[in-house]
Amino acid sequence: MKIIFVFLIIILFAFSGYHLTFRDIRLPRFARRFYLTGTEYLFLGLLMGPLFFNLLDDITLNALDPLCALILGWIGLLFGFQFELPKLRRFPLEFFTSSIFESILTSIVVFFGVYHMAPYFYDMGGPVRIMVSLSLAAAAACTAQTGLSLLAPHVIKEHQDNILLLRYISSIDGLSAMTVLGIAYYFRMLYFPLASRLSEPLWGGIIVLMTCIGLLFLYILFLSQRHDEGELALIVIGMVIFTSGTASLLNFSPLLANFFMGFCLVNITREKERIFQMLISVEKPVYLLLLFFLGAGWIPVSIWIVIPAAAYCIFRAAGKLAGGYAVTHISPGMKQYPEHLGFGLLEQGGLAPAILLDFNKSFPFDVVPMAISVVLVAIIFNDFISAHFMSRLLKEEK
Amino acid sequence: MTTHFLMLILILLFAFLVRSLDISSKWQAAAMINLSLGFMLLAAFIVSQILKGLKLPLISGYIFTGILAGPFVTGFLTFEMVERFSLIDDLALSFIALAAGGELHLFAIKKQMKTISLNIIFLTILVFLMIGLFVLFTGRYFTVISDLDPKALMVLAILLSVICIARSPASAIAVINECKAKGPFTDMVLAIAIAKDVLIIILFTFAMGISKMILSGQDSFQTGKLFVLILEIIISIGAGLIVGKGISLYFDRIRHDFSLFLLFIAFSVTRISFWGNEFMVTHYDVSLHLEPLLICMSAGFFVQNFSSSGSYFVESLDRMSLPIYVLFFSLAGASLNLQSLVICWPLALSVVAVRIAGLFGGSWLAGTISHDPPIFNKCAWMAYITQAGVSIGLAQLAGKQFPEIAVLNTVVLATITINQILGPILFKISLGLVGEAGKR
Repeated sequence: MKIIFVFLIIILFAFSGYHLTFRDIRLPRFARRFYLTGTEYLFLGLLMGPLFFNLLDDITLNALDPLCALILGWIGLLFGFQFELPKLRRFPLEFFTSSIFESILTSIVVFFGVYHMAPYFYDMGGPVRIMVSLSLAAAAACTAQTGLSLLAPHVIKEHQDNILLLRYISSIDGLSAMTVLGIAYYFRMLYFPLASRLSEPLWGGIIVLMTCIGLLFLYILFLSQRHDEGELALIVIGMVIFTSGTASLLNFSPLLANFFMGFCLVNITREKERIFQMLISVEKPVYLLLLFFLGAGWIPVSIWIVIPAAAYCIFRAAGKLAGGYAVTHISPGMKQYPEHLGFGLLEQGGLAPAILLDFNKSFPFDVVPMAISVVLVAIIFNDFISAHFMSRLLKEEK
Repeated sequence: MTTHFLMLILILLFAFLVRSLDISSKWQAAAMINLSLGFMLLAAFIVSQILKGLKLPLISGYIFTGILAGPFVTGFLTFEMVERFSLIDDLALSFIALAAGGELHLFAIKKQMKTISLNIIFLTILVFLMIGLFVLFTGRYFTVISDLDPKALMVLAILLSVICIARSPASAIAVINECKAKGPFTDMVLAIAIAKDVLIIILFTFAMGISKMILSGQDSFQTGKLFVLILEIIISIGAGLIVGKGISLYFDRIRHDFSLFLLFIAFSVTRISFWGNEFMVTHYDVSLHLEPLLICMSAGFFVQNFSSSGSYFVESLDRMSLPIYVLFFSLAGASLNLQSLVICWPLALSVVAVRIAGLFGGSWLAGTISHDPPIFNKCAWMAYITQAGVSIGLAQLAGKQFPEIAVLNTVVLATITINQILGPILFKISLGLVGEAGKR
């Protein structure tokens, strides 16, 4: 019975939250920021989870795993759809290289930071340490756009060049995050090989790649004929669920597998616009559900978690600032942009929670709850400080 | 067609290769459920498209895929998985019930009140009598029921004949939607299917009471149960009207995200009804079973006929109906009990034949008396064959109540298997013959 009520509550929250959060609501600026990012859903999930009301106990959470996989797959596909090459080519190449450089640099800084800091907080073996550091580095590379959407229209108009660049970076830097997450999964294959003769990670990797290509071929076959709206929805939902299931069974990430599908589809299929509209139409409820699930699985181990979380924030901010500084000095086309570009990239929502949920589900280590806590605290902290730094960046430009 | 076969081969290859992997974690176990769900959606869609080329209804494709993937043929879906999908099943059924109610137009029903009433009366009486008498007089020739004593045989005959009156509104609405059918014949069939769904519950309660009298030797019928049943039906309809009002208010005031909202309504109604039933039994020792199907049908009926958003309501349901139909009917296919068919196919085939004769006689008589077009009278029987969930549920209930006739469940499952395969095909043909297919 519990699972039923939880399901009902989840649907209700996703639905009502979507309307409260993203439509016609005027709240004080501080609360508005809290609402707009959907952070309240993390806390709602936490309240419903095993630590408080226990409506979402471990058994229920396990029973709802398929829903988690569907959510991850949906987000992965949607993210992949942002990489339409002809559209990306409309922007200067420097934008792309700068985004990738900045996010890779952030990942590297966070990876080494976490890797060296981790033993002080938790005793774990070498391979686990690498996987955890890589996953946290992947989450650190992402930037959310919510801070930009909070800006007043006249501010946007006044700083349109900078805001365009920041928007571009926050859409693209997830690509590096996905790559880093892919590397974490490679190490995962070393640690949890598939059964029988597929036990070598190289073989495992090849099989995953071949499977993704096979699934893509299946997608293309489906989309080779014209379908009405209902049929197209059925195909997309079916393929997302099927791809998520296949990826998880192969010890791979549903998020990454669907991202691969989205990236390929947006560049090769005629139906891209219709699929994109369908994906985007439920983006917000899916995102809020993601936060809800993440909150439910959140185990704030102790108050002292703020220390590693603060360190994580510092590593990330250092990476973003160094990245922003570097790209505005190295690339000639980027010199017109403020050197403290990293101040505008501190917000961490967006793809990061999806990476965390993926990490939470696929990496069954004891340290995972603590690692998740660290990033969640950091996400909340970044949500609050990013507005200040954003306005500082924009003032500096003046 | 070649592309569809290629897709089918590819998806089968994938599914069986991936499924052969060892499962080592909870996440992978959950992934298996995902894989199976995705497979069912896609495979059922492909098969239905292949069968569409052969002029067969789409739902036959979904059911056929379910049978093939189910535990009795390939075992791709295990019994446990089918059981775990019951959540989706309930959701889909409520959603379909909303759609069925939304398709009922009051003015059309009023216009055809006479023919609808006559059809319900004659179909009920003839099917009941013919099946009952057939089982009573030929029962000893069928191995599976030949050793029943006369009392048990009588009870079996009564309950089986009542269950045979039922007709699945869910498959009716699915075929009507697929054929984009519209017209007096379509309205009549849908109204009869829904009315029979309510009637069957009342008749079954009667039949259970009488069966108890026969088997236990009691000489008085417990009228209290009948009163409770009527109360349940009235409350369910009332609750449905309230839900309908809520939906129409939402449509008038908020005017966006209808599909998501309707999904939420369908799910909530089902679960709150079940929870309410449990709550009443646990806390007040009162067995008051609200019917989620009836609630959803009444809600849909209210929105269609007493609000300004009827057509928009049906459109919103239509937009998300395909994945729901595919899952619902393919899962229905997977849960069809082929073992029962193997055990008692001679009796099941005979019951199907006698039922068809009853349906033909009843609909022909009703149509002739109410001067319906001759083509209606010739084709109407084809529209009433499909049976599904309600019949299975009733048979299970009877089987639990009367262990003496446990075989009833097997016979009903076998009969439904045949009717579920045959019914949609014949219904689609009948819609074509009366010229109402494609009129929407």
